Amino acid sequence: MILSRVLAHPSIAVALTVISYAFAQRVHRWFPWAAPIVIGCLPIVTVLRVLHVSYTDYNRGGSYLTWWLGPATVALAVPMYRNGLTLRGVRLRLAVTVMGGSLTGILTAAGVAKLLGAPLPIVLSSVPKSVTTPIAIEVSRQLGGIPQITIAMVILSGVLGATIGKLLLMLVGVKDDRAIGAAIGTSSHGIGTASLIRDSEIQSAVSSWAMASAGVFTAVISAFLRLFLH
Amino acid sequence: MIEVTAGTAVIVAIFLLGELLHRVGIPVPGGVLGLLLLFVSLQTGLVKLKWVERAAGFLLRHMVLLFIPLTVGLMDMATLLSRQAWIICTSIVLSFLAVLLVTGLLGDRLLSPACDSIEADKA
Repeated sequence: MILSRVLAHPSIAVALTVISYAFAQRVHRWFPWAAPIVIGCLPIVTVLRVLHVSYTDYNRGGSYLTWWLGPATVALAVPMYRNGLTLRGVRLRLAVTVMGGSLTGILTAAGVAKLLGAPLPIVLSSVPKSVTTPIAIEVSRQLGGIPQITIAMVILSGVLGATIGKLLLMLVGVKDDRAIGAAIGTSSHGIGTASLIRDSEIQSAVSSWAMASAGVFTAVISAFLRLFLH
Repeated sequence: MIEVTAGTAVIVAIFLLGELLHRVGIPVPGGVLGLLLLFVSLQTGLVKLKWVERAAGFLLRHMVLLFIPLTVGLMDMATLLSRQAWIICTSIVLSFLAVLLVTGLLGDRLLSPACDSIEADKA
């Protein structure tokens, strides 16, 4: 079909994604609970399904956008620097908090998967599921997991954080901006952090700190885990 | 506009430097290395905040856009994962809840300025 051929062109795929994203932002303004990361995917998935365009074809253009995640990660240094002073007194305590969360993540993800009878490669794939995609892929590969499965788990964790994270924290009475940022950054990395950026500078800055340190901790803990496994 | 373009160029250059260091053998991804490099450069004054502030703000405001293509990819993985899907989903959801609540409550205890010893005793 000609239409699906047109859609497979990188610039069209990028345009489709930008339009879906703009639509999702608009929807988010009307319904604050509708997370842009979820709403933004729906029109794209629908178009791809209806016109029988494969993800591989779409992603030829999509990967141009994914590349920019690298520079965007670097840009997180700016809110971290700008809010460095606010955090000066609590940096060590923030590190302890994030380390506690990261350990919980590794133990519970692998533990539950093992209890439910998942095969070893899947258990190992779940170890880095709370951290940012590039670190998670690396850790998964080194442990003997399956990187594609890890990516799916990472995105799922991120989407959960971006959609219901703040609500759940509110329900258990966590109101401190720094605690919210730490919890979202540790549990849902960049996707969670991205969802905070428009709401609160402090939350997103702490979330960036948490995301970066959770990634480094998880990589280090996994390196020890690897020695233990092999 | 020029400010955003120039700032973006600085950020991309730092990212590429991070990638280069990663390729050379540092076992941390290029983006994270770049983040550390930019942070240190800002702190030492090597890069001025006003050079990169607008560009970083622009990139971060639209970071969700950059995650969309990867998330759309779950569409294909749904079939790949179907046999283990419920195990994966259950363990991810439970583990997510554990991390979020442990970190949030721990953070509330450790980071909150209102949390003096009297408050801690009450809890």
